[in-house]
Amino acid sequence: MHLDYRLNEDRETDWSSVTEEDLRYRVALGNLIFHIGDKDFSADWGWIPLVDLAASFAEIVRKLEGGSPSETFEFTESDAWVRFQRKGDKVSVSTSYGEGAAEIALHSVAAAVKSFRERLRSELDRKHPQAAHNPAVRELLGAA
Amino acid sequence: MNLRLIAALFLAFGLLLTVDSSVAQSAGYGQVQTSSDQVILTHSRLQHIIDRHWADSTATGAGKFQAGITVDSLRDMINEAVRDGRARHNTHGRPGTIYEYDFQRQIGTTIDGGPATRLRVVVSNRNEVITAFPF
Repeated sequence: MHLDYRLNEDRETDWSSVTEEDLRYRVALGNLIFHIGDKDFSADWGWIPLVDLAASFAEIVRKLEGGSPSETFEFTESDAWVRFQRKGDKVSVSTSYGEGAAEIALHSVAAAVKSFRERLRSELDRKHPQAAHNPAVRELLGAA
Repeated sequence: MNLRLIAALFLAFGLLLTVDSSVAQSAGYGQVQTSSDQVILTHSRLQHIIDRHWADSTATGAGKFQAGITVDSLRDMINEAVRDGRARHNTHGRPGTIYEYDFQRQIGTTIDGGPATRLRVVVSNRNEVITAFPF
């Protein structure tokens, strides 16, 4: 499983005052890169709020690990979705915008999402030092 | 003159001149509220919707409103969706409420380019529109 992102350049955001709503809908935008085996669930729309995606995927993993049979991530600016369906120790992933489904171990999804959050947090902190002190960023991406 | 420019002119002047609107300036942005029991559509959120979802927007992977829909008609549709649509909590910890309403007529296009008859409106806990798009 390859879960990655491409963050858009952003020289306008004041990261000291960014709110959770900003992070969920308006800042740290970019593309989702998401492959499982030969299935490509990537979304290169350029407007995906990546902090929101990282936080939402982490919440989905937490719910799946807690016994939820199915969780769906909804993109913020369309009805597109990514669905995670628990099948024992595995998870079947499908999307509204790509063909087919792919199965992968739940622990692999959890590890990929954790890595995604950590890399995004690290890149934001490096590019925007004020993000490291923003409580909304800390809340959604976790403490360093 | 393209639709985006026309929309920008509406943004700058039109809303302030709408007779059934009350206008308040606070915290550096204008608020437009049609009545006390309806949702607030700020200028910045309206610009967000225009950038992503107007008929001439180049944003990919996002539903688009039909050409000819104006800022006033958008505001009417948003209020109708919030008043008569199905409400649910926003997902996976996102703040606010999602309203969805089927207008039973085409209001735009889906991300695949097909006809969209439904509107999704996301409203914050402060009763402000966060985004709205056809699907």
